[in-house]
Amino acid sequence: MREDVRKIKELLEQQVYVTDAAVATSVYLAMALGKPLLIEGPAGVGKTEIAKVLAGALGTELIRLQCYEGLDATTALYEWNYPRQLLHIKLQEATPGSTAEKEASIFSEPFLLKRPLLQAITQPVRSPVLLIDEVDRSDEEFEAFLLEVLSDFQVTIPEIGPIVATHRPHVVLTSNRSRELSDALRRRCLYLWIDYPSFDKELQIVRSKVPAIGEQLSSELTRVIQAARSLNLSKVPGVAETLDWAASLAALNATHLDAEVVNETMGCFLKDQEDLRKFEREAGSHLDEILSSGS
Amino acid sequence: MSGPPAKSIVTEAVLLCRALRETGITVTPAESVAAVRALRLIDLSDRLETFLSLRSVLTTRVEDFPVFEELFEEFWSRLGHRGQRRVKTVREAQSEINRRVPTRSHQHAPKGLGFFLKNWARTSGHSEHINAPSASDIESNTEKDFGQFASDELQEIARVARRIVRKLASRPSRRWKPVRRGTRVNLRRSLRASMRTGGELIELSFAQRKRKKTRLVVLCDVSGSMDLYSRLLIQFTYALQNSLARVETFVFSTSLKRISGYLKNRAYERALESLRETRGWSGGTLIGPSLAEFNSRWPELVDKKTIVIILSDGWDTGEAEELSGALTVLKRRARRLIWLNPLLGNPSYEPLTRGMRTALPYIDVFAPLHNLESLRALERHLVL
Repeated sequence: MREDVRKIKELLEQQVYVTDAAVATSVYLAMALGKPLLIEGPAGVGKTEIAKVLAGALGTELIRLQCYEGLDATTALYEWNYPRQLLHIKLQEATPGSTAEKEASIFSEPFLLKRPLLQAITQPVRSPVLLIDEVDRSDEEFEAFLLEVLSDFQVTIPEIGPIVATHRPHVVLTSNRSRELSDALRRRCLYLWIDYPSFDKELQIVRSKVPAIGEQLSSELTRVIQAARSLNLSKVPGVAETLDWAASLAALNATHLDAEVVNETMGCFLKDQEDLRKFEREAGSHLDEILSSGS
Repeated sequence: MSGPPAKSIVTEAVLLCRALRETGITVTPAESVAAVRALRLIDLSDRLETFLSLRSVLTTRVEDFPVFEELFEEFWSRLGHRGQRRVKTVREAQSEINRRVPTRSHQHAPKGLGFFLKNWARTSGHSEHINAPSASDIESNTEKDFGQFASDELQEIARVARRIVRKLASRPSRRWKPVRRGTRVNLRRSLRASMRTGGELIELSFAQRKRKKTRLVVLCDVSGSMDLYSRLLIQFTYALQNSLARVETFVFSTSLKRISGYLKNRAYERALESLRETRGWSGGTLIGPSLAEFNSRWPELVDKKTIVIILSDGWDTGEAEELSGALTVLKRRARRLIWLNPLLGNPSYEPLTRGMRTALPYIDVFAPLHNLESLRALERHLVL
């Protein structure tokens, strides 16, 4: 393994993020090649977390753009501060000066409200991490617009002119696949797929994130979660749910799992009525088997 | 960073890109360049690292991974690593963990959903022989539709379905609505408001395009008489589910089941696998009671912004009054009621079954859906 990749891995792990070779390699390449990183995977496997952890590891700012339906360029890029411009015009009414000068003054940077994308390309000191979260929720028109920004990291504001990135941001996009992204956007990015973690990895995550939890309890709970994932539920519990459950159990001072504890707390990782019933029916009966498997 | 990689590795990388392109994975020259650049940045003696790097650069979706793995194997051995033991890749290790236990769910009742799910899993394009259930007069015609249906047409179906959804959802609206903060200054309102302050513009008013928030509810008939078409229908439904955020999917025969969660966010194969668990679908159809059940259990899913699509042949064994009652409620609450009937593809078909006759007055759009061509036609002619 190359030294740089190992370093990235270490940096991520310092931020209490349990990672693997795939994540470290992709993050390294995205930074080295200067390309955006598109992360896909089921909900709750820690896609967004990568961007946060990366910003922490690099000691730089995290700029987040949460996508939603109807998100448009004004909310993502920039907007003129109209009230301030109006006020300025009022104040300048009495002062001499040509109209052109006055106009130039109100269409200058102080009157610009920077939204996440513009913020990301105008960072003065060092490259920030730009997180474009749940890009699949935005409209296709916005995707096309995003493509334009991501390809040259340059934005043109009619009244000011082009603004070129001083420090190219490290871009991380996440998608839950609620809608298919365009091929153009996909091609522009490096691709990383994160799946549900293996037993060992998940156990490691639980132990590093919820240190209060005991050894026995942590492995028992991870085993139950892994078993639940194989049940074909309609809402499969992600790592976030595992951690919620672990934290709840820790708060309840539980030391080990039994049918009663599981029954009382399974709402932490099963969020659907039918899933709850299914879990009770199919896993509840042989809970002991699940708990003892592998140990 | 070491010097430029040996010529051979560049050649091999380009060959890999070409091979990928041939399998249908879009690899543009830009990506070939990126791949070669990536190779200069990594440890080429590390198989896993080379694999992960090239995969990250050259694939764009998780469905491409298996093909990539295969071709990478070739690439790696051509580089002279023939002797090296093949290490398990991360993906393989992961998929082993996540592999679902195969279900043995189709021993009983070889009809209904379980029956054709078993058939869909086959990827062969040749025609499959199927015992046509009732409606035997249309058998020969529809069997051809179904038989010619190759699984690689899934992508085309998905594309058409997405276009149909876009048409249905057609956002944004042409109307503007005043908002507190928006994209455009609403001059008329702003000036009017300035009258209050003696003609001084202080508060600006904004306007924004109205958005049509369309929701889609798909009710798919999976009873025995629909066996022939259900591959197409499930693929269509799968595509619908994954093209718009607000889509809810249900299947019904004698009762109703919500399957949105099974179709969403999953690879097609995985979605089928989880659907295969939903067994016990067979024989008769109770459209009326199923729709009534939908109305009473999920009333929150249908409002004036909702388009309801029913995929059914209208062979109903229930009471006509029940069906008309359920449709009245649905029609009153939904924006549009679309009924797609596979049998309508047959020129000699007339909607004379009791169920269909009862339903017709309530339907806004009544169109055939029996093969890809009809799907395309639907896209072209769909007027709302």
